[in-house]
Amino acid sequence: MSMMRLAFLNFKNSFRNYLSLIVSLAFTILVFLNFQNLIYSNTFSVLGQRNKEYIHILIQVISIVLICFMFFFIWYSTNVFLTRRKKEIGVYIFMGLTNQKIGKLYAIETTLTGLSALAAGIVTGLTVSWLFQMVLLAISDIAVDIDFCITWQPVLFASVVYLIIYLIFVLKGYINILRSSVLEMISASRKNEFVRWKASVLIMKSLLGTAVTCTGYYMAVKDGGQEVMGNVLIAVVLVIAGTYLLFGGLIPFVFQNLVRNKKILYRKERSLWMNNLVFRIQKNYRTYAMVCILMLCSVTALATGFAMRTRYDNITRFRNTYTFQALSTKNDLDPLLKQKIEQSSELKYSSQIPLLVPDSSMFETKYQNIEYGIVSWSDVKKAAEDTGLKFELKEPADDELIELRHIYLLSLLTDRSGITVTINGKKYRQIDDCDEAYLGYFQEGMNLYVVNQREYERLLSLGQEIYTFNYRIQDMTQFENIRKNLNALTKSDGQDSTGMVAIDPHNSDIEWIRVLYSICIFMFMVFILASGSILFMKLYNDAFEEKGRYQVLKKLGFDRKTLKRAAAHELFVAYAAPFLLMAVSSYFSVHALAKMMFTSLLTTWLVSIAVILAFFLICYRLSVSIYQKNAGIR
Amino acid sequence: MHEKKVVEIRNLIKNYGSGGFQTKVLKGIDLAICENDFIAIMGPSGSGKTTLLNILSTIDKPTRGSVMLDGRDITRISNKELSKLRRDKIGFIFQDYNLLDTMTLQDNIALPLSLNGVSADICIRKTEELSEMFGLKEHLKKYPWQLSGGQKQRGAACRALITEPEIIFADEPTGALDSRAGRDMLECLRRVNESRNGTILMVTHDAFCASYAKDVYLLSDGLIRCRLSCGSDRKEFYDRIIEMQASMGGDFS
Repeated sequence: MSMMRLAFLNFKNSFRNYLSLIVSLAFTILVFLNFQNLIYSNTFSVLGQRNKEYIHILIQVISIVLICFMFFFIWYSTNVFLTRRKKEIGVYIFMGLTNQKIGKLYAIETTLTGLSALAAGIVTGLTVSWLFQMVLLAISDIAVDIDFCITWQPVLFASVVYLIIYLIFVLKGYINILRSSVLEMISASRKNEFVRWKASVLIMKSLLGTAVTCTGYYMAVKDGGQEVMGNVLIAVVLVIAGTYLLFGGLIPFVFQNLVRNKKILYRKERSLWMNNLVFRIQKNYRTYAMVCILMLCSVTALATGFAMRTRYDNITRFRNTYTFQALSTKNDLDPLLKQKIEQSSELKYSSQIPLLVPDSSMFETKYQNIEYGIVSWSDVKKAAEDTGLKFELKEPADDELIELRHIYLLSLLTDRSGITVTINGKKYRQIDDCDEAYLGYFQEGMNLYVVNQREYERLLSLGQEIYTFNYRIQDMTQFENIRKNLNALTKSDGQDSTGMVAIDPHNSDIEWIRVLYSICIFMFMVFILASGSILFMKLYNDAFEEKGRYQVLKKLGFDRKTLKRAAAHELFVAYAAPFLLMAVSSYFSVHALAKMMFTSLLTTWLVSIAVILAFFLICYRLSVSIYQKNAGIR
Repeated sequence: MHEKKVVEIRNLIKNYGSGGFQTKVLKGIDLAICENDFIAIMGPSGSGKTTLLNILSTIDKPTRGSVMLDGRDITRISNKELSKLRRDKIGFIFQDYNLLDTMTLQDNIALPLSLNGVSADICIRKTEELSEMFGLKEHLKKYPWQLSGGQKQRGAACRALITEPEIIFADEPTGALDSRAGRDMLECLRRVNESRNGTILMVTHDAFCASYAKDVYLLSDGLIRCRLSCGSDRKEFYDRIIEMQASMGGDFS
C-alpha cells in the first residue's frame, strides 16, 4: 500500500476524531476571509474616501491580530493532535517503518486535514460573506445595498496565509517525529507518570502569579499622563504572565492540597474528579490560561466597541450643538444674524459668549497649545440658560479656573488632578473640566478656560475680546440656504472682522467609528467562540484518554450516573476556573478603558460577562454530553 | 451444618451467534457457592471460564438458566439494580489490576466506599486496616506507577474487599505477576478467606494458583467435568490438580 493511500485511509477512518480540529480551523479561515472580503469589496465606499481608508486600516490591523490568533490556534491544535497521532502511528514502528516514513505519513494526513479545513472554511466563508457584511452594516447603522460578489483576491490571500502557517506546523510535526525515539513514540499513550509538584514551587508560583496579576491590574487603572499607554502595555504583559502563573501555581496548589486532605476528598465523586483534575492540570493549565486570556480579549473588545459607540454619539452631539457660529470683533451682530437665519428657519436656541483671546505666550500649561481663550463663568452660565445645555460648574475663585474640553475619542490623560495653569505669571488651580459644547466648534480648536467675572475683567487687558454668536436651527433642510446667506456677512477689513462657521449636520467624517463598533462586537464573538472551541476541543480529546479509566470504573460496578456526575464536576472546573479569573481581570481592563474613554462601561462589562457565561454554559452542556459519549459512559 | 449459599448457578447455558451458526460455550452449569468458600475454576482455553465469570459478575447475560445472588436472579434484574448489586455485593480482582493511575493507592482502595457516600473517617480507617493486612501501609501515598505488580494486585484486592462484598471474583489474579508476587497475592487471598470469612471465586489456568483454593472445578467444553477438594496438604492437592489436567488434556495455558 502506498504511503498516500495509507495516509488517506487513516484520515478517512479517523475523520470523526479530526472533525473538531477541522471545524475550528475552518472557523478561523471563515473569519479571516470575511474580513479580507471587506477590504476588497466596495461596501464602505458609500462612506467616502476618508472613512473607507480608515476602515481599511482598521481591518488591516485586525487582520494582523487574526493572523497572530490563527498562528497560535494552529500551533495549539496541531500540537494536541500530534501527541494523539504519535500514539497511534507509533505502532507502525513494529511494521518496520522508519521515522521518516511515519513522519511522512503524519505530514500527508495532517495536510489532508488542513486542506479539508481550508475548503470548508472558504466555502462557508463565501456563503456567509453577504450575511456577514449585512450584519456588520446593520450593527453599524449604515444603510447600503450590498451585492453578493465573490472576488478571488481575499480567497487567495486567506488561503496563502493559512497554508503558510499550517505548513510550518506540519513541518514542525514532521521534524518532531523524525527526532522522536522509538520508545517515546510507542509509549506516548502510556505517559501517565504523574509527578506531584513540589509545594514550595507551587507556593512560589502562586505568590508570584498573584503579585504579577495585581500589579498588572494596578498599572491598568493607574491614573497618568502620556505614560498611560506604556502602563497599559505593561499591564497587558503582566496580566498575561500572571494568568499563566496562577493557572500553573495557584490552581494545582489548591487542588493538590484538597486531594491530600482525605476528609474533603472522600465525599461522593470528589475522589474521582479532583484526582483527575490534579492529574491533568500539568498538561492543561496552559490551555486554561489561554482560554482565560482570549475571553479577556473578547470582553475588552466588546467594551471598546461600546465605548466607541458612546464616544461617537457624544462627539456627534457635541459637534451639532450649534449649526452656525460667528466670531466677530463687533458685539452687536446678533439681530442681523438672527434675521438672516430666521428668513429660512426658526431658531431652536442661540447664545452669545464674549471670548478673550490673549497671546499664547502668556499661557503656561502642561501641553502647550497654539490657541488659548478665556471666558467668564457668568457668560457661560447665561449661554447655558439660553441654550438649555447642562450647567453644573461651580464658580471659580480668583485663583481658580475650569477647562472647557472637547470630546476626544480616546485620551491617554487619565490623571486630571493637581493641574495648574499660569496666565501672565499668575498661577490658577484647575478645579474642574467640562465637555459641554457651550462654545461649540471653538471649543475643539483651542484651550478654553473659565474664570470668574472679576478675574475675566482683570485679564481683559491681556488681549482682544471677541464675540461668539451661536445658533442652532430648527429646520436642517435649510442648512445650505442659510449658509449662503450668512457667508455674505463674512468680512475682514482694517477695523472689524467677522468669521463664520457652519457645522454640516450630515458630516460623516467619523462614520468609521461606527464600523469599528460593529467590528469590535464581531471580534468579541470571534474570541468567545475561539475560547469556547479551544476548551471544547481539549475536553473532547481528554475524553478519549479517559475512556480506559471509565471502563475500569464501570467494570467495578459504579453506575453511569455516578461517573457522569464525576465527569460533569471535572468539566465544570475546567470551564469555571478560566471564567472566574477572566471576570476579575476583565473588570480592570474595562475600567482602564472606561477611564481613557470617559465612559462608564460597567453595564457593558456585566453584559459581556453574562453573554460569555451563557455561551460557556452551552459549551459546558455540550462538552459534558460529548465527553460522556467519548468516554463511554453515556 | 447448613451453609448459606452466596451464589447458586442453575443449568447455565450460553450460546454465541445466531440461527444455525450458534456456538455453545456453556452447556448447562450447576454450581453452588457457599459462604466462606474459596473456589477455583480451571479449564483449558475455550472451555468457557471467562464466559462463566462474565455472567457471574453480571457483565454478560446467559442464554438460559439462572444465577441466584443474594436471593435474586441476577439474569433477570434491571441494569440499575445490577449496578447496585455489583457495587455492594461483589468485589472484583482483575488480571491487570485496573487501578486508576490518576490517584494514590489509598484513594484507589477507598474509591468504592467514598463513591457510595460512606463517611471519610470510615474510608480512612478501612483503607488503613486493609493495607495493614496486605502489607501496603507504607505505600498508601504512592501512585500505581510507583508500585510493583504484586503491590498493585494486593491494592486491587484491598479495593475489592473494602465494601465487604458477599463474594469476590478474581480473574487470573496472578496472571501478570512473577512467582514470588503471585505467591504473596495468593497467601493474601487465603487469609481473606480464612480470617475474614471471605467467599472467593477465582478463575485461573494455573494449577499452582488453583491449589490455594479449597475446591477446584475443572471446566471443559462448557461443562464442569470434576471437582477436586483440598485436603490437609496443598502440595498433594497441587499434584492431584496436575494429574487431572493431564488426564483431561487440552491447552491450559
